Amino acid sequence: MSLATLAQSILNGLAAGWIYVLVAVGLTLVFGIMNIVQFAHGEIYMLGAYCSYFLIKVYGFSFWEALPLAALLVGLLGIVLERFFFRPFRGRFEPSIIVAVGLMLLLQTTAVVGFGTDTKSMGGIIPGVLTVSGITLSWDRLLAIVVGIILVAALFLLIQKTKVGQAMVAVSQDPDAAALHGIDVNRISTIAMVIGCALAAIAGALMGSIFSTSPFMGTSAITKGIAVIILGGLGSITGAVAGGLILGLIDGLIPPLLSPTMAGIFGFGVIIIVLLFRSRGLFGHE
Amino acid sequence: MSKGARLVKPASYTALVVLLFLVPLFVKGAYFLHILIMAGIAIILTSSLRTIATTGQISLAHAGFMAIGAYTSALLVMKLNFSYWVALPLGGIAAALLALLVGYPFVRVKRVYFAMLTLFMGAIIRLTIMEWRGLTGGTSGLLGIPPPNSIVIPGFLNIAFDSKVPYYYLILALVLISLLFLHRIDSSCVGRTLLAIQQGDFVAESVGINVTRFKVFALCVGCFFAGITGSFYAHFIKVLTPDSFGVLQAIYLVVYMVVGGRRRFYGAILGAFILTLLPEFFRILREYQPFVFIGILLVIIFLLPDGLVSLPEAVKSRIKKVPEGQS
Amino acid sequence: MLEIRGLTKYFGGLSAVNNLDMTVNQGEIVGLIGPNGAGKTTVFNLITGFIRPTKGQIIFEQSDITGQPTHSIADKGIVRTFQLNAFLQDMTVLQNALVSCHLHPKVGVWEAILNIPGYRKKEQYACDHAMDILQFLGLDSVKDELAQNLPHGHQRLLGIAMALSANPKLLLLDEPLSGMNAAEVRESLTFVNKIRSAGTTVLLVEHNMRAVMELCDKIVVINFGCKIAEGLPEEIRRNKDVIESYLGPGEDVT
Repeated sequence: MSLATLAQSILNGLAAGWIYVLVAVGLTLVFGIMNIVQFAHGEIYMLGAYCSYFLIKVYGFSFWEALPLAALLVGLLGIVLERFFFRPFRGRFEPSIIVAVGLMLLLQTTAVVGFGTDTKSMGGIIPGVLTVSGITLSWDRLLAIVVGIILVAALFLLIQKTKVGQAMVAVSQDPDAAALHGIDVNRISTIAMVIGCALAAIAGALMGSIFSTSPFMGTSAITKGIAVIILGGLGSITGAVAGGLILGLIDGLIPPLLSPTMAGIFGFGVIIIVLLFRSRGLFGHE
Repeated sequence: MSKGARLVKPASYTALVVLLFLVPLFVKGAYFLHILIMAGIAIILTSSLRTIATTGQISLAHAGFMAIGAYTSALLVMKLNFSYWVALPLGGIAAALLALLVGYPFVRVKRVYFAMLTLFMGAIIRLTIMEWRGLTGGTSGLLGIPPPNSIVIPGFLNIAFDSKVPYYYLILALVLISLLFLHRIDSSCVGRTLLAIQQGDFVAESVGINVTRFKVFALCVGCFFAGITGSFYAHFIKVLTPDSFGVLQAIYLVVYMVVGGRRRFYGAILGAFILTLLPEFFRILREYQPFVFIGILLVIIFLLPDGLVSLPEAVKSRIKKVPEGQS
Repeated sequence: MLEIRGLTKYFGGLSAVNNLDMTVNQGEIVGLIGPNGAGKTTVFNLITGFIRPTKGQIIFEQSDITGQPTHSIADKGIVRTFQLNAFLQDMTVLQNALVSCHLHPKVGVWEAILNIPGYRKKEQYACDHAMDILQFLGLDSVKDELAQNLPHGHQRLLGIAMALSANPKLLLLDEPLSGMNAAEVRESLTFVNKIRSAGTTVLLVEHNMRAVMELCDKIVVINFGCKIAEGLPEEIRRNKDVIESYLGPGEDVT
């Protein structure tokens, strides 16, 4: 593998990795606070992609306007979902899963019926490349990495420095104790859901513009998201970052060497091996 | 219980079985037989999934194990000229062996992680099928799988598998055998032990139950039947693609099980039957058809979170509440 | 019957149990006492194989059972109860007791599935055995109640019923009297004595001092994982180290 190809593969891997991180962070946040595996999270990501697609192609927004707008719209949807689909089943693991699955199928089928099954393209965020000592690096991937880093850093600051963030930590450790301390668990759940959906929407928009958009992109997103949070440890944001980058690099480096399918096998294999030695994932507790 | 009353249950089951055998006389269309056959497949898959779930473990790899059975059987017949009737059980055994291999490490982890590990396992199976193109035909699929060898007793019987009808009887036989076996497990002390493992595995361990061994046992039994079903499916549909055995299909099976209700044995049968058959009546909706399935799913989970089998109890407690309210 | 030699368990840098030696002889009722956090439940966990010792040996009926899995140890005849009510919530009282009945006589999985006559006889025997145990503990009237619907006192008895149904040679009771009122304590003490008369040796962890003094033939006192005293109840009552470890210097245990 030449240096140029290696550099591009690493870049692809990191870009994919940070997109995975954005998906996984929301998923692990919702798991930590609401104690459910939100199976519809992949469809939220897909909606983010379509939302920004329509904002750009139909309403003429620029990408950098469409991104926060899509995040906002999808985040608002998250409020509705938490209130009407997940809150009635709080604390009941199995029915929550089924509701999430039902929601996933609902959103996916609606997308298929509404948008058609063909894949769409948004056009590159910022076309063109950066050339460094003979190696070409695409701007869109670099910017995906930067967006990912900024958002995750912002989330860390939110959790560590704000009252809301601390309340979220309390709820994720012991919701009953948190409630006794006067924390509105419902409100915290809503906030977690909104953050999760917004991040997933941004991830979807990024993925949709670097690659393409299809109504089925959610299924691979949720599988990847679950893979990342299991690898990183359920409920751990640090774990989501570590897991996302590891799996992203695998997906960047293995396909040019072997094949995309082998990348998948390799990735899942790594997770299974890690789990068998460290039964809570890399950074998991409890 | 009087002698007459004691005979009601076995008599009604026998009547049901006789009725099922007579179905092809009344149902003539190939399409209708086809959906009944698919319902039969779903029933075995969901019931065997439930057996695994009796220990509290939810397997999301069930579609993957079905694939193991399907491809094993198809390849044994096509490449090694096995008779279908040998390949059928071998498909089940192949699935059970894989379950045995991964079972011991998998069952030791907490339940949430077990479910996710099986999710990945199913994905790995699918990806391996896609990658091993030479053997399995990869994404384009394995085509031209032959039907089961005709059952021939000279001068007596010659059943060729050239229409849906023999397939119907075959799946009916498989359903009856599987359900009989799985029900025996459930209603015997083995089933009690599996349930005890779900409700308190350390208590079970402390009274001498080898929890790991029983969990692996449940997993292998469940996966065996998934494999058998896969074998049947391969030689019925005659084409195999890895996409038929993905995450979505595995999730559907769990949905059938939970919507039907996990607490009772017949819950799995009910869930599989209703969720496979009911959407078929809405075929005219075409691309809107999946909404029927989704609608049923959401309505049932909101009204009866413990599944359809909790309906009798829910009705009873409603009836009890009414007189109290009136006084 | 049970011999513990040099039993040590480290959790990280902390020693929960430190070089413990003790014996339980057949037919005895032995009490294991000590202040909170002394390591008593850890000793139970070590004996029954829930955790492996860092050092030391556990010998039961002349064979070394150190480090064996819990279900093997139960099979050999040591069964324990749990502090927090541990029973099977969603099953009936009778089903709870029946779960433990598969060991004696041993029922094979395929026997059960094929429903051969031998199995049916064993199942009937198990039912009778479970009913005997339930009757002995006064739970037979609620045999078809779901375990989670029982009052707290009955739930504790159910835990003991499950352990007894497994026909233990040595029964480990983990704080059987906690949360009980005086009448329930009286009743339980009678039960434990009857269990011993029926041939089961008993080792119990308990905080109720009066009950322990009355019930036990021998008492072992531990603190910070080390044995600080062993002997007859009267000796322990007067032992200065024991009194100090519980209440600080200058107090009386009873």
